[in-house]
Amino acid sequence: MEKAIKKYFPIFALPTLLAFTIGFIIPFILGVYLSFCEFTTVTDAKFVGFKNYIRIWGDSTFIHSLWYTALFTIVSVLAINILAFAVAMLLTKGIKGTNLFRTVFFMPNLIGGIILGYIWQLILNGILAGMERTLTYSSAYGFWGLVILMCWQQVGYMMIIYIAGIQNIPGDLIEAAKIDGANNRQLLRHVTLPMVMPSITICSFLTLTNSFKLFDQNLALTAGEPSNKSEMLALNIFNTFYGRNGWEGVGQAKAVIFFILVALIAVVQLKATREKEVQA
Amino acid sequence: MSSVRKAKHGGLLTVIFSIISVIYVMPIIIVLYNSFKKKIFISKRPFALPDTKSFVGVENYISGIEKIELPKAFGYSLFITVGAVFVIILCTSMCAWYITRVKNAVTSSMYMLFAFSMIIPFQMVMFTLSKIADILKLGNPVGIIIVYLGFGAGLAVFMFCGFVKSIPLEIEEAAMIDGCTPIQTYFKIVFPVMKPTAISVAILEAMWVWNDYLLPYLVLDIKKYKTIPIAIQYLKGGYGAIDMGAMMAMIILAIIPIIVFYIACQKYIIEGVVAGAVKG
Amino acid sequence: MIYLSIGNVTDNVTENDSDSWRFRCTVQWICLETRGYKRYSKRKEVFIMKKKLLSAVLSAAMLATMLTGCGGNDSSQTQAPAADTKTENNAETKTDDTKGDDAQANASAASGSGKVYYLNFKPEQAGDWEELAAKYTAETGVEVVVQTAASGTYESTLKSEMAKSEAPTLFQVNGPVGLATWKDYCYDLSGSEVYGQLKSDDFALKDGDEVKGIAYVVETYGIIYNADILNDYFAKDYAVVKSVEEINSFDNLKAVADSIQENADDLGVKGAFTSAGMDSSSDWRFKTHLANLPIYYEYQEDGIGSTDAIKGTYLENYKNIWDLYITDSVCAPSLLSSKTGEDATADFALGDAVFYQNGTWAYTDLSGNGMEDESLGMLPIYIGVEGEENQGLCTGSENYWCVNKNASPEDIQATLDFMNWCVTSHDGCDSLSYIMGFVCPFKAFDSYPAANPLVNIANDYVSSGKTSVAWTFTTMPSEEWKNGVGSALLEYAQGTGEWSAVETAFVDGWASEFAAANN
Repeated sequence: MEKAIKKYFPIFALPTLLAFTIGFIIPFILGVYLSFCEFTTVTDAKFVGFKNYIRIWGDSTFIHSLWYTALFTIVSVLAINILAFAVAMLLTKGIKGTNLFRTVFFMPNLIGGIILGYIWQLILNGILAGMERTLTYSSAYGFWGLVILMCWQQVGYMMIIYIAGIQNIPGDLIEAAKIDGANNRQLLRHVTLPMVMPSITICSFLTLTNSFKLFDQNLALTAGEPSNKSEMLALNIFNTFYGRNGWEGVGQAKAVIFFILVALIAVVQLKATREKEVQA
Repeated sequence: MSSVRKAKHGGLLTVIFSIISVIYVMPIIIVLYNSFKKKIFISKRPFALPDTKSFVGVENYISGIEKIELPKAFGYSLFITVGAVFVIILCTSMCAWYITRVKNAVTSSMYMLFAFSMIIPFQMVMFTLSKIADILKLGNPVGIIIVYLGFGAGLAVFMFCGFVKSIPLEIEEAAMIDGCTPIQTYFKIVFPVMKPTAISVAILEAMWVWNDYLLPYLVLDIKKYKTIPIAIQYLKGGYGAIDMGAMMAMIILAIIPIIVFYIACQKYIIEGVVAGAVKG
Repeated sequence: MIYLSIGNVTDNVTENDSDSWRFRCTVQWICLETRGYKRYSKRKEVFIMKKKLLSAVLSAAMLATMLTGCGGNDSSQTQAPAADTKTENNAETKTDDTKGDDAQANASAASGSGKVYYLNFKPEQAGDWEELAAKYTAETGVEVVVQTAASGTYESTLKSEMAKSEAPTLFQVNGPVGLATWKDYCYDLSGSEVYGQLKSDDFALKDGDEVKGIAYVVETYGIIYNADILNDYFAKDYAVVKSVEEINSFDNLKAVADSIQENADDLGVKGAFTSAGMDSSSDWRFKTHLANLPIYYEYQEDGIGSTDAIKGTYLENYKNIWDLYITDSVCAPSLLSSKTGEDATADFALGDAVFYQNGTWAYTDLSGNGMEDESLGMLPIYIGVEGEENQGLCTGSENYWCVNKNASPEDIQATLDFMNWCVTSHDGCDSLSYIMGFVCPFKAFDSYPAANPLVNIANDYVSSGKTSVAWTFTTMPSEEWKNGVGSALLEYAQGTGEWSAVETAFVDGWASEFAAANN
């Protein structure tokens, strides 16, 4: 059979491969190359070695955005997953209206980042006005504003995945634990948590990469104000690239570093949580 | 669902969750009633309901539509999303079947590349991709579909491959022996079986494409084609300061279709997300 | 299924659009013949709104159709392929059409007509430019697209647009510093008709012998005041001066502002100055325009026109005027970060504040918000420098037209023709002077005296012998420098930063940005 299919390469695989080459392979290789160049467009690129990478470290906004992003990622991953898991536990107890609640919590996830940003800008500035502050008063307000926004957007999504995980736990396993005299806490710790580990892997992976790569919400909510102090990595790269003349190469080099970081985090995270999974 | 137990405090939980649900949709409700207020009353007192002094009817809607041509943006967003999702589903599922069924160095390295591309942040390729798209004249609603196929192929191929591996070979072999060409086999046997995965992929890709801001902003010829996120963001800049009235009104217009769509197709969306997460 | 009616949607949108467009042109001509501009544009707005509402309703209806399809059963899927082919067919026809258009355009280009793509810098006049472009197209058939960059993002938009194959044919630089970045893209305008229309070579931006840019608008800024409230104030017994002529130094300005602030309730205002908003729609008033004064005086003292390292001799004066703006203000300094340009306009137009630092371009916004011409006055920005009684307003230009020399010869010619039309034809001059409210340094504008009262005030200052302050901010090393100063100003105002950070951003930032831009 393999032989019969093989000669259909142009029909089955070629269209995707061509688009993939245009949309990913060439831009990626060119992107890595350009990070070693000074350029304003692709055609006038001049090879300069590691100069761009050295210039990055002289740019304090990059270092700041790196820490800001890391901190934001940790806080939002924890907040989203804990909230989502708690809600999922409560919504699998068979209470009335479960379906409606599930519908409501999931909905914000479908709204795009730009729109979310402006919705929350209105709400949060309205609340802060009572204290004579605004979202862009200091980066701390922007930080917690973004955390609240991300929770609102993502808790519902993660909750859905956790609910599926919890519902997949075989009922007799819980019965058996109960007969053995396990209390609720022991049940959670020794039965539920290990059994939903695959869901935890997925959810923490999704929230981790989403938070780390956040761009639209950041742009709409604070646009990095004040003084680029609430600027996350993705926005910092964009601003370096398009906002400053003569810094295109540095922006591209930052993007390469950004990519390496995302890849590292993804690999480490998947390894760490996969090890904890048990076979159901 | 055998694990459903009667909750002890079912009634109380229902009440608590009802309250949380109301709080959860509050931001959208606040934006909704603010969209009927005169713009200077929006940022000054965002939580006050419109009264006789601040009520302006649909004036904000009219001025917003006048400024950013939202119906047109809606048309472009819809065309691009539907087109991209359709093309992605068709091409990547075929490609996934091919690279799973035909085993050689080319297909396995393709698989690796697709998986690899999933973690690449867009900033890494933003400049080079937009430049290549421009050279190839892909800066229009039809062309950007190819860009989306290229940049979005990774996740889709990966998910389809996961599913194809679980389809028993026997059915396909039987069909081939009965004289089906690979193309017939694919469309008559394989694709129908893949429908659940296709729905998952469609939902994930649709959510991404519909809400995407940076890729269309850099790739599309923005003086002719603006998608909804670009149009909304344009309210902030092109005309000086943010016109809060128009902003509120346009946010409402942009999210009503999503909410209606969500309520109508809720079942598929939630199932699709669960299935997508578990396989991804 | 979702895809069922997509073909219709796109069809409808494009059809509606082109229809309404043709219709607009016709209506426009009828209106032009019979009514004044203001009334005409009102009517046009209402008309467009109706048209657009209609298409909104249409899209909603189509969405509803699709959703019924979506909720339906699987049998509807069988129809999907048919619809898909339709979509693709449509798409193909569309591409073919565009190709046809291109071919046509090329054919007609050969006979002397290209296209114009103008990337406009001034958001305040975005709509006016679009109207003027439509008028030109209606008259000549030449396509003119006007795109306005978001406030504060002109450089980044220009960069991403220039990288595209359909790059702007007409763009703007802000002066010598902007020119340094873009001079390789600038067509030499020395032989052009529009250059011949310039009143003086002072308004041309030159690189060697080549004319790279032409200033098309000359502007003036200072401290706009509400004459009604100020006259009320002069009549009060707590007034420290009795006429506006006596406000001729920083000390007097401060004394007046302080006493207005103190007696705000009695005067029915909320503060002396409008909010000094540091949102990107307003922060340029301080990080660029206000910062011009210390730089101007330093250049004067050192007898130079630009520098690679600013000393910051007059930074103390900068601090004093900034302190005045944020203390005698309608709002708490902690709210400045998100106060917009519109907020400041509202503060001033609603009579909540007496003083408003802005320029001649603000007139359309102010009159649009109900300010009467007689209530408007303008004072120089005094910062406490010796001999400032003779200081006038700040006059100059940071709007230079440049033509993209990489555009096709047809497009370049079309662009030059369009520019010339703007500054010589009746429609162009009328729109630039009376709708956009510009003062333009071209010969034809002598017969279009300014209707903008702020411009007339500016002229009065010149004729009474005051020395205008030149716009030195066109020599600021980069946008990044301005942003640095702006951020530090904001942090200082909020109390989250020190004044020394402003000094660092101003002096050290200048040197490092100058080096970065000229390495």
